[in-house]
Amino acid sequence: MPRLSTVTASIIIALFGLVWFMPVYALIVGSLKSLKEVMGTPVLSPPESIDTSTLAKVFWELRGPLLNTSIIVIPTAFVSALIGSLAAYAIYRRGGKISDAIMLLIAISTYIPYHVILVPLVQFTKTLGLYDTLPGVMFGFLIYYTPMAALLMYIFITAIPRDVIEAALVDGAGEWRILRRVVLPLLGPGITSTIIFILIMTWNNFFIPLILTRGYEKHITLKIFSYVGQSGTLYNQMFAAALIGSIPPLIVFIFLGRYFIKGLLVLGTGAKG
Amino acid sequence: MTMSLKGFIVFLVPTMIFALFLYYGILWNVVIASTDYSILNPRMEFKGLKSFRELFSDPAFQDAFKRTLLWAGLLVSAGNLVGLLLASAIFQFEKPRLRNTLTTFFLYPFSLSLVVVGIVWRWLYDPFKGIDVLLTKFGMPNIQWLEGGNAFWSLVLTSIWVYAGFVALLYLAMFYNVDRSLIESAIVDGASSITILTRIVIPNSKQAVIIATIFLALFAIQMFDLPYSVLFLNPFTMTVVMYVYSKFTSLYFYLASAAAIVIIVVSAFIVIPYAVYGLKKWLLAGR
Repeated sequence: MPRLSTVTASIIIALFGLVWFMPVYALIVGSLKSLKEVMGTPVLSPPESIDTSTLAKVFWELRGPLLNTSIIVIPTAFVSALIGSLAAYAIYRRGGKISDAIMLLIAISTYIPYHVILVPLVQFTKTLGLYDTLPGVMFGFLIYYTPMAALLMYIFITAIPRDVIEAALVDGAGEWRILRRVVLPLLGPGITSTIIFILIMTWNNFFIPLILTRGYEKHITLKIFSYVGQSGTLYNQMFAAALIGSIPPLIVFIFLGRYFIKGLLVLGTGAKG
Repeated sequence: MTMSLKGFIVFLVPTMIFALFLYYGILWNVVIASTDYSILNPRMEFKGLKSFRELFSDPAFQDAFKRTLLWAGLLVSAGNLVGLLLASAIFQFEKPRLRNTLTTFFLYPFSLSLVVVGIVWRWLYDPFKGIDVLLTKFGMPNIQWLEGGNAFWSLVLTSIWVYAGFVALLYLAMFYNVDRSLIESAIVDGASSITILTRIVIPNSKQAVIIATIFLALFAIQMFDLPYSVLFLNPFTMTVVMYVYSKFTSLYFYLASAAAIVIIVVSAFIVIPYAVYGLKKWLLAGR
């Protein structure tokens, strides 16, 4: 017989689980409805017949923004993880008061809401001629996510024993070589966590592309948002756009979720996992 | 053997360019906020604290400011509560695989864009097509979720839905760290699992409360995507970040910057102690 508390726990999980499941369920059944059905049926009722034409139509409309977003967020994740690890390594290697102060500066900039630099950021990208361009959005992301990558990588690096680096130094290896051949191979899971975390966060980001571009084509979240205004009561189109736009981060989350979770825990608690 | 200063600087420069831009942006906000820079006065004349006086006497800002603080208070208290409840429930199961699956399941809203969250909930809150259809079947009243002032409370509920899984994750991470021997000796003493949870596991996880509180407060202070994608710039759900954005789009730059400084000050009170505390822990761990 299961313990009483397991029963209570199962009831809690089932009740909350229903609420948690409902939106995803609505997204899926909603985007499979035909035009005729979407006019009359509530969002939670299953479709009478499965109609994939809306999904196909919306996917075709989303192809540009999906490509643009991939072009921005994949390099952003890799570049910020790489240059963030350089900084993390330098701070770890050098040590001392100045290094601590720099790390503190980086950590604070990670947690300050990026929304506050709206006005200067837009002006700056306009001056550089990067406004309404993909590199401009990438620049906006890098400002915020590079310090975050440095912080994440720093926490991962501190788990490496100093003896390992000392031994490589005795062998006469240079800093760049130590980082590449000794430190980074030991940090495989840490780097993966950093990349996955930034990948999901930038894919889902709405504010930075909203302020740095015109129109709705340069980032997937903008495109999804555009359906709110133009589709009126045709929720099948909105849901199809929301569903298609969520599939890449959801797939990454489902299959590489442990890396994302590790990134979250590291940012929150400094746990090295 | 320490790293040479030259190497140190070379490795650090790329990251610092971006980090310092953020600080440069903060300083530039201070400059703009001390002028009357807007579409009407593009010349940027120094006006001292005029923008802050104007900001704090603007009823729209007062509302947005109070609403954001209230949102933070509600999200912190309810988010902690729901997160703790979920974590406690998940902790009752012994199998690590089941625990991880449940944690991931409750965390999934966090991996969605808030625009997506906004679109779905906008429809779930629809009085004719949303959850009301289900509720009225069970004899509950038809609730106007997004009507007037109700919208704020509905969006607070949605924000709890988004972040509770993250809070549960933080709590569980602490639960797993609780000394096994404490739990085992309590089992030997015949303590029930509820007693173990409330007397041993939760009191040993105080750190999770602090961290969850800090993050929930920060999430609330940044609230923009969710209310914006549900009701656009609606006066009933306007937050401070939305106020900044609305002043920016209407080209009142000095007010946008002044409101941004308010956000910086409020979040600095949360962020700086946390960053210092966190770094001490990580630095000590590294030495």
